[in-house]
Amino acid sequence: MNQVMTPGTAVRPLRTLISLMRRELWESPISMKWAPLGIGLLTILLTLFTLAIASRVDHELHSAQDALRLLAETDREQLKLLVTGFLFSTSTIFFQFMVLLIIFYLAGSLFDDRKDRSILFWKSLPVSDGMLVGSKLATACLLIPLMFMLAIMLTHLVLLLIASGLAVSAGVNPFTTIWLPASLPHLWSVMAAGLLVQALWLMPIYAWLLFCSSWAPRLPILIAIGIPAVLAIIQNSWSLLSSLSLPNVNIGLVMLKRLGSSMLPMSANIQFDHGLQHIQFDEDLFMRFSNLNNYLLSLELWIGLVIALPLLVAAVWFRRRATDQA
Amino acid sequence: MSSIIKARSLSRHYGKTRALDGIDLDIPQGRIVGIIGPNGAGKTTALKAILGLGHYQGELSVLGLDPSSQRDRLMKDVCFIADVAVLPRWARVDRLIDLTEQLHPNFSRERCLKFLAETRIQPKSRVRSLSKGMIVQLHLALVMAIDARLLVLDEPTLGLDILFRKRFYSNLLNDYFDEGRTIIITTHQVEEVEHILTDLIFIKNGQLILNSSMEAIHQRYTELMVKPDQVEAARTLGPLNERQMFGRHILLFDGVPMEQLQALGETHQPSVADLFVAMMSDDKDQELAA
Repeated sequence: MNQVMTPGTAVRPLRTLISLMRRELWESPISMKWAPLGIGLLTILLTLFTLAIASRVDHELHSAQDALRLLAETDREQLKLLVTGFLFSTSTIFFQFMVLLIIFYLAGSLFDDRKDRSILFWKSLPVSDGMLVGSKLATACLLIPLMFMLAIMLTHLVLLLIASGLAVSAGVNPFTTIWLPASLPHLWSVMAAGLLVQALWLMPIYAWLLFCSSWAPRLPILIAIGIPAVLAIIQNSWSLLSSLSLPNVNIGLVMLKRLGSSMLPMSANIQFDHGLQHIQFDEDLFMRFSNLNNYLLSLELWIGLVIALPLLVAAVWFRRRATDQA
Repeated sequence: MSSIIKARSLSRHYGKTRALDGIDLDIPQGRIVGIIGPNGAGKTTALKAILGLGHYQGELSVLGLDPSSQRDRLMKDVCFIADVAVLPRWARVDRLIDLTEQLHPNFSRERCLKFLAETRIQPKSRVRSLSKGMIVQLHLALVMAIDARLLVLDEPTLGLDILFRKRFYSNLLNDYFDEGRTIIITTHQVEEVEHILTDLIFIKNGQLILNSSMEAIHQRYTELMVKPDQVEAARTLGPLNERQMFGRHILLFDGVPMEQLQALGETHQPSVADLFVAMMSDDKDQELAA
């Protein structure tokens, strides 16, 4: 594994990128490793706790067993929807926490080593500034989602094992009632693809955070939030005070909406504009790749990418000059 | 011999301050160059330009590369310690070594571990738990394990005890340095590097006021402890600097023939520190001293 690669081969940049991403994992093990595992553990404990409470009331967990027996008799499509829906809903807390974590991670990513001056050590390595900024972005788009995805998968497996135990005690076949309808490979691959599309969807926000992190003299997270917030307020009060109405695009709202519509990494992304009444609880919400395609084909996603590009270039530009003063 | 570093009218302005004021510089391969100057003279600005860490005007090529746009390529053959204790504080020693090994094609884990074996640093320690001196030791071990053509050390031994400093410079000379490499050192502890330097550069107000090999300096500059009755005669020869010690006048001369000086008193080679003081003091300082 560790054999020395001759420099200059095409593999080298990829190896560098992976090493730099591993570095991020080493730097923030709590948020990238223990936080997702912790949420998983919490979900499992909460489930066990609920079962424990239930067993107090209902000694042999008859109602749960009855529910499982009932479940075993529901038709397959309905069953699949129920089980996958349950599994998906347990993962939402992961996704919400993940987006929050990525925001804080990116805001600090190009700032922390400037603050403690260890940037001088990183700059002494033969790694280009573009590669370095790229590694931060790749960590946000790939590594952190991967860590959360692994934690989600682990949590799903444990939850299904608990359910299987109950099913066996109820005399229900856990395989046909739980594991088969859970269709884990499908659910997981839609989720994983959803996370990738989500990263593309959030790219302008990520790029904005990297950009702020790259030059902010202090408190990059406040600057990253403050600038659009202040702009939004100014625009809002201007529109109120003057009869002159500005274009009906408010940067603060645009950013908030994009963030809000991405908390769940797939088509469960609710279109706020249309209100909630249009949403129907069916498989389309979380089990179809085609919905991801719709996202990929949407103009908004591509506009976001176009906005992200100059911000990333600017982040690299500031990174190159980060050691210029004193 | 080919130049490792070649600069032509290298300049850098911070507002109205000229940190570097049109420097010309040629540093050949296989030299150990000391860059000495008072605080704010432009040392760090020059080193930053050479390392691709700061921008500049003028021409500069290091190992044939343009540092401002090719820093990442340059760093394959250049290593540096630009400030004390800048290792990431969260990192664990063994992982820092892993990472450097993965990111640096010319890094030797074996050499690094050999240097670390001489210290009390444990592989599982975190940088934040190390003392300042140990962090410098770790950084030096990482840097010395890189097979680089140019090593730049900016105050490398600040905060280290004298035992380690002595050992470090002897390691540097015996294990690291060879004719294929070039070392640039800046330090305020001139006496400690004096005997290992092959070349000396004095920098003041952004300009090089001395740039010469040690042999040439030894030939050119002479210190004279003047006989009391010869002081006036000696002064007519135009000394660079004059100081008094135990009531004796000590005058520093530039390029005055040895025989002429020997007639006036005892001659000896000036130390770099004395030379530095003589050349750096402003005229005003000299008046005050006199």
